Amino acid sequence: MAEVSLKHIYKVYPNGTKAVSDFNMEIADKEFIVFVGPSGCGKSTTLRMIAGLEDVSAGELKIGGLVVNDMEPKDRDIAMVFQNYALYPHMTVYENIAFGLRLKKLPKDEIHKRVTEAAEILGITEYLNKKPKEMSGGQRQRVALGRAIVREPKVMLLDEPLSNLDAKLRTQMRAEISKLHTKLQTTFVYVTHDQVEAMTMGTRIVVMKDGFVQQIDTPKNLYNYPENKFVASFIGTPQMNFFDAKLLKTGNEVKILFDGTDAEISVPYPSLYKIIPDYLDGKTPVVIGLRAEDISLAPAAKKGKNVIKVAVSHKEELGNETLVYGNLYTTDGAAETAPVILKDTADIAVNAGDIAEVTLNLGKIRIFDKQTERSVLPRIPEYNYLDCTVKGGNIKLLGAELALPEALSCADGKYTLLVPVNAVNFDGGIKAEVVSREDVNGVTLLALTAGGKRVWAVGGDFAEGAEVNIGVDFKKITVMSDGETVFSPMPGLNEIDCNFVKRKFVETAEVNGKSKRKKVIRFGFETDGKFFEVPDDVSRKIFNALGVKKALSSPFKLQLGLYGLTVAESGIVATVEKVLNFGAEKFLKCTVGGREIFVGTDADREGEVCLAPDFLNAGVVDPKRDIKII
Amino acid sequence: MEKKKYKSKKLSERISLVMVYAFLIIISLIWLIPFLVLIILSFRGEQVGISADYLFPKHWSFGNYIKLFTKTKFLRWYGNTMLVSVVVTIIQTVIVLMTSYALSRLRFKLRKPLMNLMLILGMFPGFLSMTAVYFVLKELNLTQNLFGLILVFTASSAMQYYICKGFFDTIPKSLDEAARIDGASRHTVFLKIILPLAKPIIIYTILTAFIAPWGEFMFSSFMLKGDDDKFTVAVGMKSWLDNSTLMAEGYFTVFCAAAVVVSIPITALFIWLQRYYVEGITGGSVKG
Repeated sequence: MAEVSLKHIYKVYPNGTKAVSDFNMEIADKEFIVFVGPSGCGKSTTLRMIAGLEDVSAGELKIGGLVVNDMEPKDRDIAMVFQNYALYPHMTVYENIAFGLRLKKLPKDEIHKRVTEAAEILGITEYLNKKPKEMSGGQRQRVALGRAIVREPKVMLLDEPLSNLDAKLRTQMRAEISKLHTKLQTTFVYVTHDQVEAMTMGTRIVVMKDGFVQQIDTPKNLYNYPENKFVASFIGTPQMNFFDAKLLKTGNEVKILFDGTDAEISVPYPSLYKIIPDYLDGKTPVVIGLRAEDISLAPAAKKGKNVIKVAVSHKEELGNETLVYGNLYTTDGAAETAPVILKDTADIAVNAGDIAEVTLNLGKIRIFDKQTERSVLPRIPEYNYLDCTVKGGNIKLLGAELALPEALSCADGKYTLLVPVNAVNFDGGIKAEVVSREDVNGVTLLALTAGGKRVWAVGGDFAEGAEVNIGVDFKKITVMSDGETVFSPMPGLNEIDCNFVKRKFVETAEVNGKSKRKKVIRFGFETDGKFFEVPDDVSRKIFNALGVKKALSSPFKLQLGLYGLTVAESGIVATVEKVLNFGAEKFLKCTVGGREIFVGTDADREGEVCLAPDFLNAGVVDPKRDIKII
Repeated sequence: MEKKKYKSKKLSERISLVMVYAFLIIISLIWLIPFLVLIILSFRGEQVGISADYLFPKHWSFGNYIKLFTKTKFLRWYGNTMLVSVVVTIIQTVIVLMTSYALSRLRFKLRKPLMNLMLILGMFPGFLSMTAVYFVLKELNLTQNLFGLILVFTASSAMQYYICKGFFDTIPKSLDEAARIDGASRHTVFLKIILPLAKPIIIYTILTAFIAPWGEFMFSSFMLKGDDDKFTVAVGMKSWLDNSTLMAEGYFTVFCAAAVVVSIPITALFIWLQRYYVEGITGGSVKG
């Protein structure tokens, strides 16, 4: 039993194809994780990297706290079940299950005990003397599971184990694997392309596409809060309905204007509080997502009000419910309108060719950007959009008047602040009240009101109705005036261009009381003509990712936090452009080789300063392949 | 109408079947007749030369066989050939299986160019390099030496990888992977998983490895010339044919008896391993 940690995992093939890009995940002990996605999305490759059957191109893979990047599969204490079962055809079922134990050189009694126990759990005791070819698909898959569980692995890896079985057997085996997980209390990582398997089995699901993780969440959250249109369409049967539309805020209501029709539906604004305000201008195209069960035929009393019309093409009666298929109805008879699938009770009176009026469950509405396809109604909003007034060095924000930090010195006037939710802290001078609290994947999101405005904040542990004093971390905010950016936030990371080099040094060492000179080789980063030696761990990771020859000839980008560079007596020479004073904190805005660098400082400085990088906490990026190595 | 159509189809099928069988019988006869003549001649009791104008012996006898084993060096040559063939078979089979497994499963730099190079080199007839190889071996004092012959026959073994690799390619890689996760090293995977599944191709490799040195003449005659104690059967028997005195003494029928004895191990091997042999070839090339 163990946790699995994947940090910046990449799989890049020699021809440059990226099968997996920047995969980050912490899998807890005893979790049942499902990787799901269409063919070629990188899910099996990721699993095979965990198994050790594929090399990790870059990143750090840990099983049970141990880095296993270079460990042989047999030493990782994992077991794997393959799609084609991979049973040894020349061995009996007993020998198949016992094979791994025999290689471990366990005593015969112990092997026999474990094999018979596993066979009993899986109900294959009577087949132990048979060869795999004499068994059916379901039985073979049980043998494959048996072979995996007798090894009592820390992590069980299952690569589409049910896809070769028929539908009925698949449902049965699905339940059995879930039961097995409960019984064994081991970490399971399961790969499938079938979203039903993923939804029914996983404690958490990883949705992947084109090598990128799209969302990692519980089945329920994936279904209810998809982060993008792909996840929304991939999860759920029938597929989510998508309608092109525009949103227009009028007073305390938001109108949804469906493209290609004159259909118009109003939603109360408070239900869309989390939406990014830019999308409410009636011009920005969005995609409205609604599941089939959230669309139903309008009852007679509601007809004509807040409904949309659907031209029904056909229906599927499933006994307990009916699926109605059609397209959005247009008065001008346009042929290409959005398809609609709705789910209603079995006894509905609608037929092919009808124009039906349908109501939408607006509480379940999802909204996506048409271009980026990302949700514009996130569970945790990125920014608070707050209006403020600057006058005489003070800022009037959310009903309070605060001193404006020197770094932000703006002319008097009205501005809009983009305040990230994590920039709202609880030690300021603005009075606010907690309206509601919501737990989003372990993060507490607080909805506050301050000065009559809605403010979102994370990290505070306050009950609903509590009065709190909030503040704003000014170095993280963006100040806008009439759509123009007046002040940009401090970047989270500084980037420095450098090369990875080998240097020879002559060192003197004391051997038997005599000092001896010897040549030593050190690896490190070179920037601005200066050499900075790095710990062995860092050079090992770089060599693993690129190979020695490439590592020593490729350019790199170092990523350092705001406090990852410190002013020192020697180091990278930087020119101070400005001192940014945020009151409690001060930063130097410097330039190094044309790049802007921000460095935390205690004292004001000017002219040239030397900066010492902290390599222990630095990120290393290979800009050529766009891979984060560390 | 329907019935007539059915009948004519059956008739045409029967005609084509008759024709196919007739063709096969003729081919078999053409193939078998020389062998039958050889067997019949080996039992001829009377001493006539190579040019006798009748086929069946005037009196049947085992005399040629007795003479073969008592008055000639045939048994020694037979032993030499058997030694060379068995050693070559063992070495070549091991090398071919290992090379094929490596080329099928491991991915290394220049793997494909290496495979192509081996395939192309294998297409050149061996005698092209014969003179050069002879001089190299002479420098090493390995001519007129069975070890030298074994060395030459096994040297290019790895080039026979193609069919065997094709067979290994058909064994799912997930078996190797499952075994590796189960704790097996590459070596264990090869011995415990792949080899037991590769029986047909092992048999095929053994057969082809045995046949080649068993009947090889050209290189052996070149290498072993001058020392009739080191001769293989092919070289020895050819030396009889070249000796007109021996032929005049009726050695032709002894030659025929020797040819029959030479064919026994190969025929026996073929009959015994026939089904594996066919499975081996098709298993490797068609499924792959």
